[in-house]
Amino acid sequence: MKYEEQLLMELKAEITDRVERRRRLTHRLYAGGAAVLVAAAAAFAVPMLTGTERPAYAVTKNTDGTVRVEINEFKDADQLERDLAAAGIKADITYVPAGKQCKAGRGQTGGTALGGEPGSGASWMRDGGVEIDPRRIGADRTLVLEFAGDHQETAETKERPLLWRLTGSLIVGQVAPCTVIDDSSWEAGGGS
Amino acid sequence: MRRKRAEIATDPVAFEAFYRRHVDALTRFLARRVDDPHTVADLVAEVFVAVLDSAHTYRAELGTEIAWLYGVARKTLSAERRRAYKQYQLTGRVSGRRTLDIDDIAELEQRIDAERRARQAFEAMAELPEGERAVLELVVIDQLTVTEAALALGIRQGAAKVRLHRARKKLQNLPFVMSGASE
Repeated sequence: MKYEEQLLMELKAEITDRVERRRRLTHRLYAGGAAVLVAAAAAFAVPMLTGTERPAYAVTKNTDGTVRVEINEFKDADQLERDLAAAGIKADITYVPAGKQCKAGRGQTGGTALGGEPGSGASWMRDGGVEIDPRRIGADRTLVLEFAGDHQETAETKERPLLWRLTGSLIVGQVAPCTVIDDSSWEAGGGS
Repeated sequence: MRRKRAEIATDPVAFEAFYRRHVDALTRFLARRVDDPHTVADLVAEVFVAVLDSAHTYRAELGTEIAWLYGVARKTLSAERRRAYKQYQLTGRVSGRRTLDIDDIAELEQRIDAERRARQAFEAMAELPEGERAVLELVVIDQLTVTEAALALGIRQGAAKVRLHRARKKLQNLPFVMSGASE
């Protein structure tokens, strides 16, 4: 049937679109990450999953001992922290709006929080989610993850250099609360 | 399984293979439930978009692709019914209303006609409780195994067996249960 072929073409174009959207975001993130690296942390723009009727996030344990977090909406940070604690991960999760960041220096940093490849840090991005290895965090440390921006692309977010950014750090001992300040790398051209 | 997910939702070639394997069965699945060619065509599109959105829920070890696909189709269909055939829009490039030419419509109508008996069976089953009807539908009309039906509905195999048994008992005097199974 003709319409079946037409539909297949449209669906394949949709897949290419979605993959391209993810790739573009990942690139921006690496380009914008340098400034944050100076502050002993790595920044990643994370390809987000689209969809509206799913829970804000999902935490699953992998068989290799790592824990996978898929975030669909930037909310319920406290509950996510509790769920991660139940999975054996001491984490501090913060969501801030686009154009903002947590002021650097929330504690003494130690170790690689966020790596580009699986196993290269206490956490890394894979397949649209964050994977965490509890064994790489250390008994006295907290994995601090700060998400800035919006979880979903809209007409408005398309104008921005970033959709969202994840900044990770490992902090020894006490973690200071997030003081929200402006982040100039969000201005068009500033971050990419 | 992660690979599988990545493939269907991210690799156009893998998706095309999936699409070609199942588009015919899915069209017939929908033609058993909806008798308007345009709505059937729209629903086929919507189910495949839902496949892209929910490819992460597919687990190869749990059962067949078709059972998983019928599960996605059932959810899409019930969402569609909640909207009560109001206007809706699909995401991205996949447009909301299929453009069908005369041949498309004729062929779809043929399929819808071929599923007429199945639709009559649905009417006869309307009196059953929802849970029992859902299992009976998938097993007797859509020809899934009980295991597959359980997967499509997200329930345990034991529960599916019990529901099927109850439904069959209630309907045992009705002849359509046997004849509805043949296409």
